[in-house]
Amino acid sequence: MKRYLAVALGILTAIGGFVDIGDLVTNAQVGARFGMSLAWVVIVGVLGICVFAEMSGRIAAVSGRATFDLVRERLGPRVGLLNLLGSMGVTFLTFIAEIGGVALSLQLVSSVNELLIVPLVGLLVWLLLWRAKFSAIENVLGLLGLALVVFAVALWQLGPDWGALAHQAATADKPGGESWTVYSYYAVALFGAAMTPYEVFFFSSGGVEEGWSREDIPVMRANVLIGFPLGGLLSLAIAGSTAMVFGPVGITVDTLGQVGLPIAVALGKIGVAVALVGFTAATFGAACETGLSVGYSIAQYFGAQWGKYVRPSEAAAFHLVLMVSTLLATAVLLAKVDPILVTEFSVVFSAVALPLTYFPILVVANDPDYLGEHVNGPVANLLGSIYLVLICVAAAVAVPLMIVTRMGQ
Amino acid sequence: MSERRSREPEDRLGGAIDGALHLLDRQILDSFDKMVGKVDDVELTEGPDGLEITGLLTGAAALLPRLGGRLGDTTVRHWRALKPAEPLRSHPWRVDMTDVDRLDSAVHLSVAREGVLRKDRERHRLGQLTAMEVVYPDGNRLGRVLDVRFRPADDGRLVLRSLIVGRGRPGTLLGYDRRGDQGPWLVRTVVRGLHRHTAITPAARAEIDWSAATVTLDHVPHDAPGHAFG
Repeated sequence: MKRYLAVALGILTAIGGFVDIGDLVTNAQVGARFGMSLAWVVIVGVLGICVFAEMSGRIAAVSGRATFDLVRERLGPRVGLLNLLGSMGVTFLTFIAEIGGVALSLQLVSSVNELLIVPLVGLLVWLLLWRAKFSAIENVLGLLGLALVVFAVALWQLGPDWGALAHQAATADKPGGESWTVYSYYAVALFGAAMTPYEVFFFSSGGVEEGWSREDIPVMRANVLIGFPLGGLLSLAIAGSTAMVFGPVGITVDTLGQVGLPIAVALGKIGVAVALVGFTAATFGAACETGLSVGYSIAQYFGAQWGKYVRPSEAAAFHLVLMVSTLLATAVLLAKVDPILVTEFSVVFSAVALPLTYFPILVVANDPDYLGEHVNGPVANLLGSIYLVLICVAAAVAVPLMIVTRMGQ
Repeated sequence: MSERRSREPEDRLGGAIDGALHLLDRQILDSFDKMVGKVDDVELTEGPDGLEITGLLTGAAALLPRLGGRLGDTTVRHWRALKPAEPLRSHPWRVDMTDVDRLDSAVHLSVAREGVLRKDRERHRLGQLTAMEVVYPDGNRLGRVLDVRFRPADDGRLVLRSLIVGRGRPGTLLGYDRRGDQGPWLVRTVVRGLHRHTAITPAARAEIDWSAATVTLDHVPHDAPGHAFG
């Protein structure tokens, strides 16, 4: 019984943990402008993160090695260092966006200026990373993040023509007023939002810390293969509800308040209250995960002690990195950088940085020296190879599309 | 934490290993599974049977030279300049092989991490060897040392037995040049294609010149390397 509870908890937190500021903003923007015509990208992205997370979870369970251990072992110190700078840079960018997202959510609650909230959020994030128990962070914030299910309820209340939505999704029916380049730009952004690399750094490092073994592989798979797709459904609900409210009037989404507007239209004050809990929990949880991921990647490259299961005094360098990166992220936000803009950059650069960690993981997932009999089977390798190509294409076109479309204008 | 892991107690130090593929850049854990550092380089000492592994090197003084090229030189110089008063600053910290218990996906020490690092000697480094150029006696250039294979002597000392040489193209650390059955097909085909010239040669037929950073072979090697674990 206890085992099933643990599995259920893992799945529930994976749903809440899947949606972060990148998914919230990008899905809402895409829904408002393109309706459901980009839904296929969410599905492709969710399957991709399942493939990626399953491989790295399996490696963590069998060999006890987390992502950046492998990056350094398979690419060497020189390429590994460039890889570290790229991946960690993107994760740090996401960290800034998440802290900003928490501040924006609390601003919607309190009407206090976001700049006054940012230092408080930074302090809270740092305190949680320093003092709180790892599982407590993950479980409490993951479960509260489930409040975002309110988007599915809102979509249902808005009473869409389900047949038309499904048809638009199935035929990738781009609205006539939008160009194919802008459509492609948002496709890449949506792909980056679904396949954010930090999710995998966090997932595999957490698995190593919890001491996963071969026996834990089925539970890990259940979390990934059920939790992430359900999280993807939440993403689609967000896109669907903004499509219903903004689509007809041609308004674009530029603030977090607008992301929540369909909830207000459909469900009123109560709905908005629930959505705000969801926003805050999802972004707060993701802020902790991204912050930890910055520390994980640096510590794993240099071999320094990392982790939330050892006392902070035993992992001093790791906690120093956490403190400095939280301070830096807070400082950037205090310089009046728009968190929504940072979010837009972070999802696109996530797509750019993906091959850096995906490729070494795919190689090690095939290496019997690490995995013995648990190496990739034919299905994992077929999917793994298809996604290697997809991820490389998305990474190559991301920046050119960003420049050509001036970030989707 | 460690007692929950149900890994087979394997130890690769009892058989042949490839230095770069199986030892370099691995995590070093102490007897309580606390992290000590990475195997930033490996110390090689001339013994009765040739070069043997006598220690693991860790820390900036071991890592920075391995960044290679101008980046390596510059960072090493700056590292020294940060504290000119400190003696032996460019000498790396070492873990003696007597403190090493076993090797799997990490290096496990038999002692606690407190005070395990030493700076009592400076010998050759594996990272210098794997960066060396390979030439024929007539001076023609063959390529680069990609990796070296060690085998345990009767008393367990890991002695350098063979060199793996190739054109120095990227991807040698991925293992495909030594294992033909490792998927996925797409990556294997590309990397094995790049490494079709990679060959293994007995260390006895190679002359290592540490000051000139070259390895001279007395023959043209043709044997493709198999995997160290058989």
